[in-house]
Amino acid sequence: MDEEPERTKRWEGGYERTWEVLKEDESGSLKATVDDILFQAKRKRVFESHGQVRLGMMRHLFVVVDTSRTMEDQDLKPNRLTSTLKLMEYFVEEYFDQNPISQIGIITTKNKRAERLTDLAGNPKKHIAALKKAVDSTCIGEPSLYNSLHMAMQTLKHMPAHTSKEILIVFSSLTTCDPANIYELIKTIKDLKIRVSVIGLSAEVRVCTILTRETGGSYNVILDEGHFKELLMLHVKPPPASSSSECSLIRMGFPQHVIASMSDQDAKPSFSMSHLESTSGGPELTLGGYYCPQCRGKYTELPVECKVCGLTLVSAPHLARSFHHLFPLDAFQETLLEEYEGEKFCEACQGELKDKRIFTCPSCKKVFCVECDLFVHDTLHCCPGCMHTDGTS
Amino acid sequence: MKLNIDGLLVYFPYDYIYPEQYSYMLELKRTLDAKGHGVLEMPSGTGKTISLLSLIVAYQTTFPLEVTKLIYCSRTVPEIEKVVEELRKLMDYYAKETGAKSNFLALALSSRKNLCIHPEVSSLRFGKEVDGKCHSLTASYIRAQRHSNPAQPVCNFYEEFDSVGRQVPIPSGIYNLDDLKDFGRRKGWCPYFVARYSILHANIVVYSYHYLLDPKIADLVSKELAKKSVVVFDEAHNIDNVCIDSMSVNITRRTLDRSQANVETLQNTINRIKETDAAKLKEEYRRLVEGLKEANVARETDIYLSNPVLPDEILKEAIPGSIRTAEHFVGFMKRFLEYLKSRLRIHHVVQESAPQFLKDIFEKVCIDRKPLRFCAERLRSLLRTLEIADIADFSAITLISHFATLVSTYSKGFTIIIEPFEDRTPTIANPVLHFSCMDPSIAIKPVFGRFQSVIITSGTLSPLDIYPRILDFRPVTVASFTMTLARTCLCPLIVGRGNDQVAMTSKFETREDFAVIRNYGNLLLEMSAIVPDGIVAFFTSYIYMENIVASWYEQAILENIQRNKLIFIETQDAAETSMALEKYQEACENGRGAILLSVARGKVSEGIDFVHHFGRAVIMFGVPYVYTQSRILKARLEYLRDQFQIRENDFLTFDAMRHAAQCVGRAIRGKTDYGLLIFADKRYARADKRGKLPRWIQEHLTDGSLNLTIDETVQLSKHFLRQMAQPFRREDQLGLSLLTLEQLQSEDMLKKIAKIAQQA
Repeated sequence: MDEEPERTKRWEGGYERTWEVLKEDESGSLKATVDDILFQAKRKRVFESHGQVRLGMMRHLFVVVDTSRTMEDQDLKPNRLTSTLKLMEYFVEEYFDQNPISQIGIITTKNKRAERLTDLAGNPKKHIAALKKAVDSTCIGEPSLYNSLHMAMQTLKHMPAHTSKEILIVFSSLTTCDPANIYELIKTIKDLKIRVSVIGLSAEVRVCTILTRETGGSYNVILDEGHFKELLMLHVKPPPASSSSECSLIRMGFPQHVIASMSDQDAKPSFSMSHLESTSGGPELTLGGYYCPQCRGKYTELPVECKVCGLTLVSAPHLARSFHHLFPLDAFQETLLEEYEGEKFCEACQGELKDKRIFTCPSCKKVFCVECDLFVHDTLHCCPGCMHTDGTS
Repeated sequence: MKLNIDGLLVYFPYDYIYPEQYSYMLELKRTLDAKGHGVLEMPSGTGKTISLLSLIVAYQTTFPLEVTKLIYCSRTVPEIEKVVEELRKLMDYYAKETGAKSNFLALALSSRKNLCIHPEVSSLRFGKEVDGKCHSLTASYIRAQRHSNPAQPVCNFYEEFDSVGRQVPIPSGIYNLDDLKDFGRRKGWCPYFVARYSILHANIVVYSYHYLLDPKIADLVSKELAKKSVVVFDEAHNIDNVCIDSMSVNITRRTLDRSQANVETLQNTINRIKETDAAKLKEEYRRLVEGLKEANVARETDIYLSNPVLPDEILKEAIPGSIRTAEHFVGFMKRFLEYLKSRLRIHHVVQESAPQFLKDIFEKVCIDRKPLRFCAERLRSLLRTLEIADIADFSAITLISHFATLVSTYSKGFTIIIEPFEDRTPTIANPVLHFSCMDPSIAIKPVFGRFQSVIITSGTLSPLDIYPRILDFRPVTVASFTMTLARTCLCPLIVGRGNDQVAMTSKFETREDFAVIRNYGNLLLEMSAIVPDGIVAFFTSYIYMENIVASWYEQAILENIQRNKLIFIETQDAAETSMALEKYQEACENGRGAILLSVARGKVSEGIDFVHHFGRAVIMFGVPYVYTQSRILKARLEYLRDQFQIRENDFLTFDAMRHAAQCVGRAIRGKTDYGLLIFADKRYARADKRGKLPRWIQEHLTDGSLNLTIDETVQLSKHFLRQMAQPFRREDQLGLSLLTLEQLQSEDMLKKIAKIAQQA
């Protein structure tokens, strides 16, 4: 997290064994530490995303947030709920940043019921506002997987087949209270080609394992807050589309931003179409905006679906941002530090290479440390070494 | 994969092998080479069965003259079926690799109840009924009667088998119980008798312990098995108790009443036969005079497995004159029964040794030792002569006759305890005569004596040195193997204190203590909130469980627990328990989560596995000591001390710890499985207890996990559960706990493997 979260007093928190983090593996030979396995998983993520795969770029994602009694647990600071919602805000932002033509909806579940916090929509502001409001809600009762899945399914099943339909569940409780046999529902969901992923906050629950395995999603359990964030970010990237999903051309409009100044005689202030339905905040008259190429409806923000003619309106940079998913940067080669001859400095951060493994860009042959390697692949999507050489030559 | 185990080519039907499997096979090979007995401990879920089968089958193929037969003894029918399936996999692999169809014959054998295909008989519910009914259709004289009286019902399947089946051996292959039934239906032969007949020439026989250890059954089924066999007792941690149970006799008033009725029936039958067919009785008399020469010859020529109920001495002698005629024998039995009845009319507990008992019986009713000895044999002969169809009805008198023979044969190793009432209900008179065996070696001695190699193996045999002592044999290999793990998938924790620092223990003095009970409740409550899916909790006894649960109910702890998980309780009723188990599994499966409260030494602790989500945590409340006030146990402890120099305390601790290990071991059934093993009693932290846990648990018991408070336990558990929930793939195991053939052959690995086995 960027800013320091307001902390509870140390003594209010649970009993922590901070020294365990520093634990060294004495026997060495047989026990591979979990950290090592985690490191491998990290690397795997980079590898996996490579190769030319079809990605489901248009995503409809429902996020189910467990707000049951267990969310009051303080093992995430200050408690699970606050921490989760904060991360969710970040996630929503990041999600729309990387998937501009996708939509998201949020469901909460507590007290054996599921509740829709926001509908499927493409505007991050609304979701974030809703999330901010949810922080104050009380956590009671048990969650219901069945009800939440059912609610999400009701909406998702009407979505067109070429879009990627996903449900992401942040599950804190270890139990679920279901009105009917959940395995029937899992089968229905599988038939509808909805992918369900789960992030567990406490431990591995059998029914989630089955749910994710059946529907082709992923199931992870967090270790700490950092790991939680990492896992959430995994879901920012569009998943590979299943080969059976149909392809279709989608009509899109690329409206230009028209800027009108007050001095212009023709300019008339007008309402944005998206304000028609919004209840919060009075409509504002603006001069300029994006005009739908088909029906001339005016919008102040993109991306949006035209309220009048239903055309998807995006701007070119939005599409361009999705572009790197399709043509990712090649994976760097992993070598041991001892085998590398040359200056032991990372090309990107200029820090000394200390880890056992280093990474070499296959095209420019510059070396990077693991952190920078991840940064380059996850965030930059282009190799700084290559850019540098391109610029000079 | 093809392995080279110390010069022996072993076909192993999987592409990967665990290092400990390799090590296990090495030790096993050494045992077979030495033609001796072995005690091997390897944790469950590491492929013990397939290692055993692969190696022994390879041994059999390579040295067909050295080892002719494998007798694999397991405990339950599902376990037997599992073994056969593994064997089938192995044989398929053999066929694939060598290309030739092997002429191996392997089959499972179980009781008539599991094998009968007769439409009427097989529909009976109880094993005893099936046996009795079967007998009434297949006994030789019944079949003889049919010649004169065609209306006499017989079993067609048996008739068919008897007329055709004996000449045609069953085709080679692997037969489990269902296969046998199918085969029987196809041919119209009785599967049970086909199996019993075929075990004589089968290469591999898989059956239950009792077929070898229970003298009554062993005599029927196993006595002709070849000497050059390898016998394997799997899951053998309770073998001493099985031996003892098979030799012990309990006589209640009901038994005596039924015996009385039996004797009446015998008397009547004798009178009737005397009128119609006196020659038959004369013939029997003549046979008895000749004595048991035949049996003696057979045993001397080493054809039969000796039978502890039929001691060697009596074979050399003829049945004494006093019981030779049928009437005299019946009279003799009557007197014996009367004597027993009088012994049961007591108001205080009597404990005496066998010689004392014999002396008393001689003084009171003038029954000598010698005729008593022949009782079992004599009764059998009489029943045969009288052509009594339904043997099941005569179980009571048979039991009495066994008692008579045993009590007069063994002066050591047995004790007689007569209790006028049960300890729990001192007002209700319910006299029982326990004739209790204290020396497990008596029952198993013939097995060790006869067969070339006997392997005792299980997941929990620690401390290893005690088994050879109590079973009285000299093993050539005694080894314990650890589980090599790519991640520490078991987390043993010893919880010694509550959050209020009150010591947690099921010690007798404090077990009623309010604080202890509350702390136990809190532990379960806290664990129920952080452990996903299933938790299994074991108590030391049913009474203790009832007390604690009642107390939890009053303190509303139960209510709080139920907010997190459903609660199921094991009871002494088998049907109720299996219902509870079923619902428990359902609750674990669909995410509701459940707790099963059960009892160490109960049905759940012995036979039920809790794989993966069915048992994410096992909590052992207290140390499961056996009920020490029992007189039988006291007598046994005394005997152990005098005969084997095993101190009472050592044995009690050993017994408690093996049951504790057995309980917690229910949750870890393989390398991909994981679970918390929580020992909730501060006494576990002591070195003498801890040291008796199996090596694979001890290894992960660090100083940091001893004598924890509930809070600390919760923190450690949470951490552990999160770590274990991280994705774990086969690649992570490869090279560490899972090996390919190349990896196995590397120098490094062989060195490491050498460390896995620990010789005791």
